[in-house]
Amino acid sequence: MRRSYNLYLFSLPALIVLVLFFVHPVILTFDMSLTSFKGIGEAKDIGWRNYERIFTRDRYLDEIWLTLWYTVIVVSALTVTGLFFAAMLHRLPAIRNFSRAALYTPAMMSFVVVGYVWQFLYSPINGGINVALRDLGLGWIEQNWLGDPDIALYAVAFVQIWMFTGFTCAIFLAGFANIPEEIGEAGRLEGASSWQRFRYLELPLLGPSITVSVMLTTIGTLKTFELPFILTKGGPDGATRLLSIDIIDNLFGQYKFGFASALSIVMLAVVLVVALVQNRLLAEKE
Amino acid sequence: MTRNLLSTTLFALLAGTAAHAQIVLDVVAWKGNEAEPAGMPQLIEKFEAEHPEITVDLTFVARKDIDKVIPPRLQSGNPPDVTMVDSALNKLWGEAGFLTDLGTDADWVQRMKPEVREVLELDGAMLTQPLEIIGMGNFVNMDLLAQAGIQTPPVTLDELTAACGALAEQGISPMIFSGGFSAMLFVGANGIDPAAGNAAALGAGDDRFVEDASFNQALDRVRALVDAQCFDPELQAGLDPWATAPQEFRSGNVAILPQGAWNIGSFQQVEGLNFQFAPMPSGFSDKGVALDLVGPGWAIPRDAEHADAARAWVDFFAKPENLAIFLQAENAYSPYEGAETQMPELAASYTAARDAGSAILWPFSTLEFPKALQPEWEDSLTGFLLNLDDPNEDTLQRWDDAVEDSL
Amino acid sequence: MDATTHAANPAKARNLDTVLLRKRLKSGLAHGAVLVLVLIMLLPLVYMVMMSFKTSTEIAQNPLGLPESLYWGNYMRALSEMGYVRSVLNSLAITVSVILIVVLAGAMAAYPLARMKSRISRIIVMIMALGLATPNFVTITPIYVIFRDLGLLDSYLGIVLAFAALKMPLAVFFYTGFIAAIPLELEEAAKLDNCSNWQIFWHVIRPLLGPVTATLSLFVMIMVWNDFIYPLLLLTDKDKLTVMIAVYKFVGNTGIDPTRLFPAAVLGSLPLLLMFAFFQRKIMAGSTAGAVK
Repeated sequence: MRRSYNLYLFSLPALIVLVLFFVHPVILTFDMSLTSFKGIGEAKDIGWRNYERIFTRDRYLDEIWLTLWYTVIVVSALTVTGLFFAAMLHRLPAIRNFSRAALYTPAMMSFVVVGYVWQFLYSPINGGINVALRDLGLGWIEQNWLGDPDIALYAVAFVQIWMFTGFTCAIFLAGFANIPEEIGEAGRLEGASSWQRFRYLELPLLGPSITVSVMLTTIGTLKTFELPFILTKGGPDGATRLLSIDIIDNLFGQYKFGFASALSIVMLAVVLVVALVQNRLLAEKE
Repeated sequence: MTRNLLSTTLFALLAGTAAHAQIVLDVVAWKGNEAEPAGMPQLIEKFEAEHPEITVDLTFVARKDIDKVIPPRLQSGNPPDVTMVDSALNKLWGEAGFLTDLGTDADWVQRMKPEVREVLELDGAMLTQPLEIIGMGNFVNMDLLAQAGIQTPPVTLDELTAACGALAEQGISPMIFSGGFSAMLFVGANGIDPAAGNAAALGAGDDRFVEDASFNQALDRVRALVDAQCFDPELQAGLDPWATAPQEFRSGNVAILPQGAWNIGSFQQVEGLNFQFAPMPSGFSDKGVALDLVGPGWAIPRDAEHADAARAWVDFFAKPENLAIFLQAENAYSPYEGAETQMPELAASYTAARDAGSAILWPFSTLEFPKALQPEWEDSLTGFLLNLDDPNEDTLQRWDDAVEDSL
Repeated sequence: MDATTHAANPAKARNLDTVLLRKRLKSGLAHGAVLVLVLIMLLPLVYMVMMSFKTSTEIAQNPLGLPESLYWGNYMRALSEMGYVRSVLNSLAITVSVILIVVLAGAMAAYPLARMKSRISRIIVMIMALGLATPNFVTITPIYVIFRDLGLLDSYLGIVLAFAALKMPLAVFFYTGFIAAIPLELEEAAKLDNCSNWQIFWHVIRPLLGPVTATLSLFVMIMVWNDFIYPLLLLTDKDKLTVMIAVYKFVGNTGIDPTRLFPAAVLGSLPLLLMFAFFQRKIMAGSTAGAVK
């Protein structure tokens, strides 16, 4: 179908909002990244020095890798758990609505509330999880969840996965709802098992939902800072110091706005590159 | 009845217009909310009674959010009339020219303790009216200590290790020691010599932590605490010092908690919690070292709309009897000379250490230590607790690097 | 399979009964297993609610178990100090307005993007991606200045616009994916009837957007409910504050006290959960309506 470019007028209201509130501020942020601005007062021009510092220090490259690794963990886990619950609930209409709502509940809480609740659950001495393990006779599994550098990142990721499983599940369920009834019916008549129907009939049709879900969770996770900020502050000893945590610390802990802006621009570039690569890969698969 | 209704409505309308002529003083603070009232409701009532033309509109903004919320308002010429600041903000906003000089002639400036004045005065200008000096040290659960046969809070290193041993023998967890905050307090109290004042040179990069005998010794003393069974370093290194650690103390699960005096009010509300607030045991003093933090104060932004009313607010807090209300609610010491101590009896040993001169002003609050050093202390001390066998140099070198980076 | 074959072959019918029985058993097990998993996911929230009913002594002695009795004291204090009702109403009003704007502008923007593969589409998508990728703490200062210049500070309109901007990229992404999956044939019929683009959008596309709109509305609700930087930044009038601000104000920032944290957390989340329970039905209606068509 041929369309005239007039159709783009539809995008205008949203575009205005975006240019005003995102494009314009991002340009200002870039300007700021070339200064030693302290968040207030005059900004002094220092050229590319902030960027030089970022790319000549292991610290920031390590943080980028850690951020990517954290994102890989969270996004793959979220996709799997979301798909699992959605596929199950799609087949179990009796409990579908209740379960969808129940799974979604954690995603409705504020990060700060969730962070503190898990802080109390993870606490090594009298925290809910360790006490529960002790009561169940599983004391040997007890861990210093947030205090052990080898575990902390996964403990934080776990909370994020717990929080957003309902989110991906809801996206996938919407995708399932979009699959024409007849397709499942046809599969069933041909004697396909539940798994086969999922793998060969439903999964290919879920392409758009998977794209949406992976894109959103990836971007959301890449720029996340709330949970690690509350749970570990980037500790123990940097084990959970994501790039975003360092940005926050530079911005508000040390008032290095110029440097934090440079870090933000780097992060923005990382997010955009990841999103573009992902978009290409997922579009091919779709 | 109808007439009655009519007249009340009319009255309400009139009152409404009258209220319109009122000056509304926009005050932003990170105290005065429900969890930390700091005597503000009472103070505001008193202030409004003395200044009927002013209505105070106090907005609570958490300290960490102040950094996000106030700079845009300052920058765009639309600031609150009065804002709470601490020494870091005083310097940052002050140097950028966004705060009003309150003048050094005022009587309260003359009365200010010299060490506090030194922290806050910028190029001969006084931009902040300090409100408090607040202590940091050990909260000690006296009932648990009594179970181990000890009647007074430990204030020397020997007393501390002895208490740890006795408590551990009774099956009581002796001490909270998280890498984040608790360790900092102990290491600070044992690394900074109250008499020699080695902090400024270290923070400025003139001296190096790696070569500093006190700080090397401070780390060794942490190892001694571990040997004395004060705490399990692996379990506690990553403990959250702000949420779960105070809760363990509130719950009576641990005998000693290094924290700030701002917890006194909240701990007092816990039924059956019999505690004292004591100075930090240190090799430098047999009374323990009081770790004083230069607390927040009031500042008037340059572009404040109601500058005169803001002045009245500052003058109001300059009166000792008004400040005393604040200090009593905060369990803090006055930053002014000759003020009566408002501290409760349970902090007697802390006050005694201060009075004996066994006290330091926390170098992070005086800006002697650069801001970037604080996260480095937290990180590296956590790392240190997890790898106690590593040489001190590994930890201390990181501090020197952080100082160098911030120069 | 019909009744006649059943009657003709009783042995086979019995066989079928056991098959059916086994099937029902299997389905029962599946229901049970999934339900248990879902309930496990809810445990941290159960923990939160239980903690909120405990006195501080009880929290100390029994950090995990059920509260011995429902202690309402924590809630009484929270309710009397939080300014709760007013803040709930504010959040509610802001939420509804933001949803209206985001849904309309978002779906409109997505329509051409889903239907036209041109460089303009790619550029717009890039801008949207930029919007999604920008951490909002980076843009705080410019946004404040923009709002001051537009005279939108301390107004409901201002905060609504700010939130709408924050969720706009998400809405566009959502609708783009969703509209792209709508078969073109549906529109072609309308096109032949000489409908304008707007008419096609309004009468053909919009009615199909029910499920995704419901989900999107949820995201908006969640953000409006939980974000606190924007209200802190853009609103100064206490009467306009949102729920989470009331929560943080009540909980404070030094030394988190569980007898304050947990009841405030429950109160802060409760209206949202109730709204969600109500929304659940809308999602249902939306998806079944789609299926009927």
